[in-house]
Amino acid sequence: MAIEYKKSLAVFSDFVGVEDAEALLEWLGKNPKGKVNFEECTHIHASSLQVLMAVKPPVVAWPKDENLQLWLKVALE
Amino acid sequence: MNNLLEQFLSEARDFLQGIGEKLMQLENDPDSTELMVELFRFVHTLKGNSGLFDFPEMTRVLHASEDLMDAVRNGRVNYSQTLADQLLEAMDFVGSLMDEIEVTGKIGSNHLVISTELTKALRALLDTPDAVNVPVAIEVYTEDALTVKGISWSELPIMDLPETIAMGLHRCSIDGETVLWLQYTPEPECFFKGEDPFFLARQIPDVAWRHVILNNSASTLAEMDVFSSQLVFQLLTIAPETELDDLLRYVPDQIHRVKIPALAFVKPSGSSTDQAIDDDVIDSVLALFDNDEIDALIHTINTMLELSSPELWSSSALRWVLHLIDAEPDNKPAQRILLEAFRTQTAPDWSVLTPPIVPQHKTVSAPIHVNTSEIPDTLLRDFNVVINTQKEILSLPATSSGAWSAGRLKAVGATLIGCYRAVQRPHEIEGIEAALNIALTQNSPVPLLGWLETSLANTQELIFKGEPEPVVASLAAQPEVKFGRRTDDARGENAVAASKTLKVDQDKIDRLMNLIGEMVVAKNALPYLANRAETVFGVRELSREIKAQYAVINRVAEEMQDTIMQVRMMPVSFIFQRFPRMVRDISRKLGKEVELVLEGDATEADKNIIEALSDPLIHIVRNSLDHGLEMPEARLAAGKSVTGKLHIRASQESDRVLIEIIDDGKGINPEVIKHKAYEKGLIDEATLERISDQDAVNLVFAAGFSTADVISDLSGRGVGMDVVRSAVEKVNGTVGIESVAGKGTRLFMSLPLSMAVTNVMIIESNKQIFGVPMDLVVETVRVPRVQIRTIKQKQTTVLRGRIVPLLSLNDLLARNEAQLPNEDDEFATLIVRVHGEHVGILVDDFRETVDIILKPMTGILGGLPGYSGAALLGDGSVLMVLNPRELI
Repeated sequence: MAIEYKKSLAVFSDFVGVEDAEALLEWLGKNPKGKVNFEECTHIHASSLQVLMAVKPPVVAWPKDENLQLWLKVALE
Repeated sequence: MNNLLEQFLSEARDFLQGIGEKLMQLENDPDSTELMVELFRFVHTLKGNSGLFDFPEMTRVLHASEDLMDAVRNGRVNYSQTLADQLLEAMDFVGSLMDEIEVTGKIGSNHLVISTELTKALRALLDTPDAVNVPVAIEVYTEDALTVKGISWSELPIMDLPETIAMGLHRCSIDGETVLWLQYTPEPECFFKGEDPFFLARQIPDVAWRHVILNNSASTLAEMDVFSSQLVFQLLTIAPETELDDLLRYVPDQIHRVKIPALAFVKPSGSSTDQAIDDDVIDSVLALFDNDEIDALIHTINTMLELSSPELWSSSALRWVLHLIDAEPDNKPAQRILLEAFRTQTAPDWSVLTPPIVPQHKTVSAPIHVNTSEIPDTLLRDFNVVINTQKEILSLPATSSGAWSAGRLKAVGATLIGCYRAVQRPHEIEGIEAALNIALTQNSPVPLLGWLETSLANTQELIFKGEPEPVVASLAAQPEVKFGRRTDDARGENAVAASKTLKVDQDKIDRLMNLIGEMVVAKNALPYLANRAETVFGVRELSREIKAQYAVINRVAEEMQDTIMQVRMMPVSFIFQRFPRMVRDISRKLGKEVELVLEGDATEADKNIIEALSDPLIHIVRNSLDHGLEMPEARLAAGKSVTGKLHIRASQESDRVLIEIIDDGKGINPEVIKHKAYEKGLIDEATLERISDQDAVNLVFAAGFSTADVISDLSGRGVGMDVVRSAVEKVNGTVGIESVAGKGTRLFMSLPLSMAVTNVMIIESNKQIFGVPMDLVVETVRVPRVQIRTIKQKQTTVLRGRIVPLLSLNDLLARNEAQLPNEDDEFATLIVRVHGEHVGILVDDFRETVDIILKPMTGILGGLPGYSGAALLGDGSVLMVLNPRELI
């Protein structure tokens, strides 16, 4: 699993693919106060990206990947 | 290159050939539906096949061609000459792409522009409504194109960039780098095609500024369709355009790009205050500027900056002034405009600097969507989906209770109101409400349905005209259509499969031929063996048995050789088939009318011969069209029919193929040729006087000869006929020309049927044996020493009343030995024909003639002149075969 769902935190790691989008949407729907951690993430598929953009959850940690961080910051901040 | 690709290329070439042929046939018979259907099938299959590979440029053009042919097939578009031209051009492009793939295995991104243009041109021929909406590919707005496109400076898609980034980009731009603004709007279905737009966006290099927009139409989170892309990526990049082309080659129609002029970045930002800078301060600053006291100006500005808050608009503007003075010290007008902007505290208006850039239309609502309507496509699509559903609901039969429930009508009404509000048509709402009320009183859906239909008819702009068509065939997109077409294909492919041809790589055939050749040689060793058995070992019985076996093997080997020759045989139609198209194109270009007659295209010859023939023939045909046949008026004046006739005829004469190219044009005037040749120094004055007309005509084969005064792209470069001659001679052919001024020209080539087996004569010289190709040998004579005369230190003899120069083979091969005469003091002399002249070569002795498989020499030996190759003899020794043409 590229996204590990904890109580109120979704931890993204490696490559988040297109199949993760639906579950992410559901989780964010159920956990309106859920936070996200991108630290170990290298890429997020556009489908998940648009889910994140629609919700804009608080970000606990930005990705180490610089390019991804730049994009995520403009998309989610 | 993998097998699949190889097969694709080989098949695709056949298809291209087929498409060309069908188009040619259609020219004569434009109403034939059968041809049309076949043509469509070719294009369609070719497109389908190309989709298997990573060649978007090719697939795109083929896709457009397919759509066009589909329209022609269904009678929506009429077949026309321009259509044929356009399709042929597209196919030529595809052919050139294939050449590139064959060499490099891929397509360079530099073809994108041509591919886009071709696609556009093809689409333009489709003037049916559903074709109009196919998205135009890249639109590149350059600085100069601003006026043309009617975009003003203020509408340039520059976001509010942070000042430091804007300054950096401005400097990049001044330094000559192109700053591109890209907007990438992935199509909603892209996820189903396995695309990841975000990944693609992240791949774009040298991004200076980026932005992502979410066009989410769903009101609640749960309604959001995660599998439909609602993203828009915007960014500024200084990456080279070629790199971007390559990266974005799959989605050119989803990219909008604008080249940003440098000054567009100069845009002070910040909070404005009421306390504008005093006019007299501005005046004094301007005075400093006008007096060119730049140092003082900078000093003043720095002081002003220190005194004011850095967040202010005026501070930002001051910083920009400093930046401009630094980055563009010579651009005084721009600096002045920026300083003037202090008075108004508004962004400087750069349009005054570049007078042609005048905003021409101010109605563009959003600078981003320059070429789309104000309602986003996604919204429009959803609107249509909902409206259509409502229409369906209204058309439903009444419920079992016999009446329409008011609730259902109300629901439809509310939905419609919501929809029209979403697409910003609030004035329609009154109409809906009125219709709803009538419907409720009548308890019938008809009034609402009626209103909806009239409304839709009146608001055409709200009708969604289909998504951009996917470039790569996608199964998910339109399965039902695909299945329908597949059956079409299956029928067509069955027809192809029924033919019993086997496609074999030429290398395999060549290898088979080499093996058979070796067997022929090995077989030739048996008579030697038989001989040895008898003479050395004295076993006559065994010798006879070996000879008997040899006879059997010999028969089989000869048959095998014969068969493999047959396999390698190709009809000349292989080269002839391209002439109709070529003659058509060239004659149109030249404005001549030409009738082409092809004869004997079933005549066969070895593949190598046919291939070697192709270029010379094209050359000759071009010459005939360009120089031979006259313009229609000239023909009429000469009392000929307006249409010129070009005959290309192939026939077989014993073991040679004869090809004739005959035109009824103006012929060759020997006088003109003579003088041209003399001018170019090809013949001297004495020759000029005595040369016969036929010999003069033959001068066209001389190297460097050209009669055309103007070099056209067709002919006249002075390389032509001599190249033709050497190409033909390379395969042991001959070429000749006959011409009657005013009547026409006949050019003929004679070529061997096969090059595989060469008949050579074995000769001996200086205790070595050599082969000489028999087709060069005229005769063999023995010349007594007394009959050899020396003229100007050259040995000659008189043979049947002709002086024949004599050359010693030992001298030719740089062996310092005299030739050996026989007991009667006669020299063995081989008379060979070289360049139409007889030359005697003195050798030591003649031997027998043999059929050999001539192997050209390779590697270091390949560069040796004087030898045409080597062959193995029956006893295992190597025979070097001389090439007298080069030797002498």
